[in-house]
Amino acid sequence: MPLNMDLKAFNQRILPVQGRLFRLAQMFLRNREEAEDAIQDVFLRLWTNRKQLESYQSVEALAVQMTKNLCLDRLKSHHKQKTSNETDMVAMQAADVSPYRQVENSDSAGLMHRLIGELPEQQKLVLHLRDVEEYTLEEIEEVTGLSNANIRTILSRARQKLRENYLKAENYGTGY
Amino acid sequence: MEPDIEKLLEKYYDGETSLEEERALKQFFQSGQVPEHLQSHAAQFGYFANARKEQPSLNFNHELAMRLDPRAARADRPAVAQGAQGTQGLNPGLGGGRWMLRVAAGLALLIVGFGAGWLVQSRSENGALLAALEEKEAGQVAEMKKVLAFEQMNSTSASERIQAVNHSYTIPDADRDITQLLINTLNFDPNVNVRLAACQALTHFADEAEVKEALIQSLAIQTDPNIQISLIEALVAIKEKRALDQFQQLARDQEVLDVVRLKATEGMNRLTTDV
Repeated sequence: MPLNMDLKAFNQRILPVQGRLFRLAQMFLRNREEAEDAIQDVFLRLWTNRKQLESYQSVEALAVQMTKNLCLDRLKSHHKQKTSNETDMVAMQAADVSPYRQVENSDSAGLMHRLIGELPEQQKLVLHLRDVEEYTLEEIEEVTGLSNANIRTILSRARQKLRENYLKAENYGTGY
Repeated sequence: MEPDIEKLLEKYYDGETSLEEERALKQFFQSGQVPEHLQSHAAQFGYFANARKEQPSLNFNHELAMRLDPRAARADRPAVAQGAQGTQGLNPGLGGGRWMLRVAAGLALLIVGFGAGWLVQSRSENGALLAALEEKEAGQVAEMKKVLAFEQMNSTSASERIQAVNHSYTIPDADRDITQLLINTLNFDPNVNVRLAACQALTHFADEAEVKEALIQSLAIQTDPNIQISLIEALVAIKEKRALDQFQQLARDQEVLDVVRLKATEGMNRLTTDV
């Protein structure tokens, strides 16, 4: 029974953020199944370490960090696999085109998704936390450890870069 | 309004906007009244607003629940639960758990079959008509349970399951099995329409304490706005004050759709005023 109570408390703290973690993972991994798999891993790790959770100020910030790190690790190992197999990157990418990915390339939302994916890691993360999840600057500080001013700069760069690339892709030609 | 938006956009690209201002931008670019020269900004904001609605699938929730607490999740499985628990207790940790489960389920079905047969026969003296009626009913109940059973979810179609759900509340004296089955369907069925049907069916059994409890709990895990709204309505209809906390959380949760939050607030008001 105490174990069950434990689980209930855990669920109450963790489940509300699962949507956020999922979206973050999806942003990094660009694949639904892989994102679900990644956050399941995060939840299981949090669950095994539940005793230590009490000492963290924000479980959400911790969970976001864990998700980010896990996704980056997975991307790295994917990358290694790809290069060690000496497969043509393009061919490889074409091979794992999921239905989602196919849709992605067809409309402007898909284009955005891809362009965000192409941003540098830090810009991607900060942009996602702010513009999709609507985090306050303080919350972003907590997750990234960056300073307030730094976050603003990164955010500004990410937004401009995204716009620039979007215009390029859509052939608008002119600046804003 | 437009000069304002242009100023805001400039601030936005400089990373200087507040969350409120960014929300205003998102709203503006989704309003459908975006002038030509600003149109090229719309995709970005539209994307952010939509990306925010993405959720993991329901199957994911169920799988996670299983991983976190295998015992409870297995006990949750309706059709085989009673039969399985006994055998599992005897064989903890054996790799053949699933196999045992199937045997147990088979046995349970057999016993139920015999039991039903015996019941029908023993009553046949009371009149053939009654017996026939009951047999038909027992058949329907069994059929319904079969369709809704968890293992079947991949092999039955959504409409079959909806039919089974709708059938459940025409059964005169539904037992715990049936309500439990409906609760599971409400929480774990992959199809939103089936879940919705289960939610509506459960309102017919809302005077049972268990069902009330389940409705409150379900509200915490449902992410589909239609179901959230139905649950809120059901809980308000039965004047379930214990749901207040849950309503409050929903009303505050930024991730929840506005309509649902409004509904939750309205529900809170109705529950508190209506004594």
